[in-house]
Amino acid sequence: MDKLLSLWYGSGIYNLTFGQTTMIVIGFLLLYLAIRRNFEPLLLVPIGFGGIVANIPEAGLAYSAVEQMANMASNAQLAELASVLGAPVESAKQLITAYHNAPSAVQAAAEHLAADSGYNNGMLYQFYNVAIASGVAPLVIFMGVGAMTDFGPLLANPKTLFLGAAAQFGIFTTVIGALALTSFGLMDFSVAQAAAIGIIGGADGPTAIYVSSMLAPELLGAIAVAAYSYMALVPLIQPPIMRALTTEQERQIEMSQLRPVSQREKIIFPLVLLVLVALLLPDAAPLLGMFCFGNLMRECGVVDRLSDTAQNALINTVTIFLGLSVGSKLVADKFLQAETLGILALGIVAFCVGTAAGVLMAKLLNRFSSTPINPLIGSAGVSAVPMAARVSNKVGLEANPHNFLLMHAMGPNVAGVIGSAVAAGVMIKYVTGG
Amino acid sequence: MSSADLMGEGLNLMLFGMGFVFVFLTMLVIVTSFMSRIVQATQPEQPQTTGGNNMPATPITGAADPASDPVLLGIIGDAIKQHRIKQGRS
Repeated sequence: MDKLLSLWYGSGIYNLTFGQTTMIVIGFLLLYLAIRRNFEPLLLVPIGFGGIVANIPEAGLAYSAVEQMANMASNAQLAELASVLGAPVESAKQLITAYHNAPSAVQAAAEHLAADSGYNNGMLYQFYNVAIASGVAPLVIFMGVGAMTDFGPLLANPKTLFLGAAAQFGIFTTVIGALALTSFGLMDFSVAQAAAIGIIGGADGPTAIYVSSMLAPELLGAIAVAAYSYMALVPLIQPPIMRALTTEQERQIEMSQLRPVSQREKIIFPLVLLVLVALLLPDAAPLLGMFCFGNLMRECGVVDRLSDTAQNALINTVTIFLGLSVGSKLVADKFLQAETLGILALGIVAFCVGTAAGVLMAKLLNRFSSTPINPLIGSAGVSAVPMAARVSNKVGLEANPHNFLLMHAMGPNVAGVIGSAVAAGVMIKYVTGG
Repeated sequence: MSSADLMGEGLNLMLFGMGFVFVFLTMLVIVTSFMSRIVQATQPEQPQTTGGNNMPATPITGAADPASDPVLLGIIGDAIKQHRIKQGRS
């Protein structure tokens, strides 16, 4: 009978908490959105699955060895842990906070104690440390994105870089929005957290994950989920804003054909960008450096094998671990908070403001430019490659069936990637460097 | 930090951030245009003769030759796939 009872006490059903149940349901919801609705399936399938696995009771896959010990150990072991941390033995939560606030020497001592007591880091926790906490996965993905990006349309019409800049307005308005919520006492975000939330408006998954892993790792789960779900919703979010801000005539504007761009220009461009980053904003160097490197491999024509790996095998491998690691941040005690709702709400504001700013900037450019610019391509400035460019094309075709804006919209689209990486660098600089 | 301080910090970040993004991308526009002009000037008639042995005869560009543009082909392929999925569902 005792054996039977201990089996029951160790079972999932016995230990399942309300929060874990909710998070598992959310995990299934993400899987449904990815599989049935085709919402960024490459990311949401691993994230959703990781979220489910992270919330399996007793397994503690998303926790470090010390966190597991604090949650599961006997009283004698807890007392030992508390004495190492110099904190009172009251609740597991307090021990864990004490652990996170402790100097690294004390943390190391606690880790050794946990290892001696037979606790190991959970699988997802390990993935998170290797892939995201180190910053590796978003950067490798950025390299792959660089290797997939064709700067031809941008080089043919460099003015479109301004559209990519304007669309970053969404990022900074959202930061203000998050801080406003805080000053009204509705939520409680620090400047670093507000900056990490704002980056959702960059509509660029790896950038968002990179920034939040540096500025606000505790919000990473919510930020990544918001960023990827809204990217999937771009075809629904953007068109009404685009139509509201443009007139029928503006939507019908046909743009002149882009000039041919030589291979040499395409090889030199990533190097020019790299030098500019090095001179002006070293904080954006990890992101844009990897991006330029990937693009150089693509365009130089002599390392096709490397370029092929970067844009296929490698980016796919890393995406798997990135997704699972983000899923590890969907544990109930970190995700089920009022802040998450705030993040989801602010994220959509960020997208809308970014789209509007891009369209308005395009209208402005059209007024001063010698060649006509269709304001619809402005909305593509919010990265989300290539979805946002397709949306511009589609809305353009509705107004004028012979007007193909896709290639024109690819210019602001890749400019948006550069713009949000620059914005990310500025935020990191501002928040950490002061 | 008081709420006014916090909002001030936010406004600062916005001015600083947007200002910097625009300065950076303006520099990039200027430098890129300059670079393109130099490249076009130094590379007059046959742009691809130095490009290697298995280069196509025309320059690889998105606009001039859409059929050989991998990005465009990828996009078209995806669009067709999505369209088919949608057709199949409705």
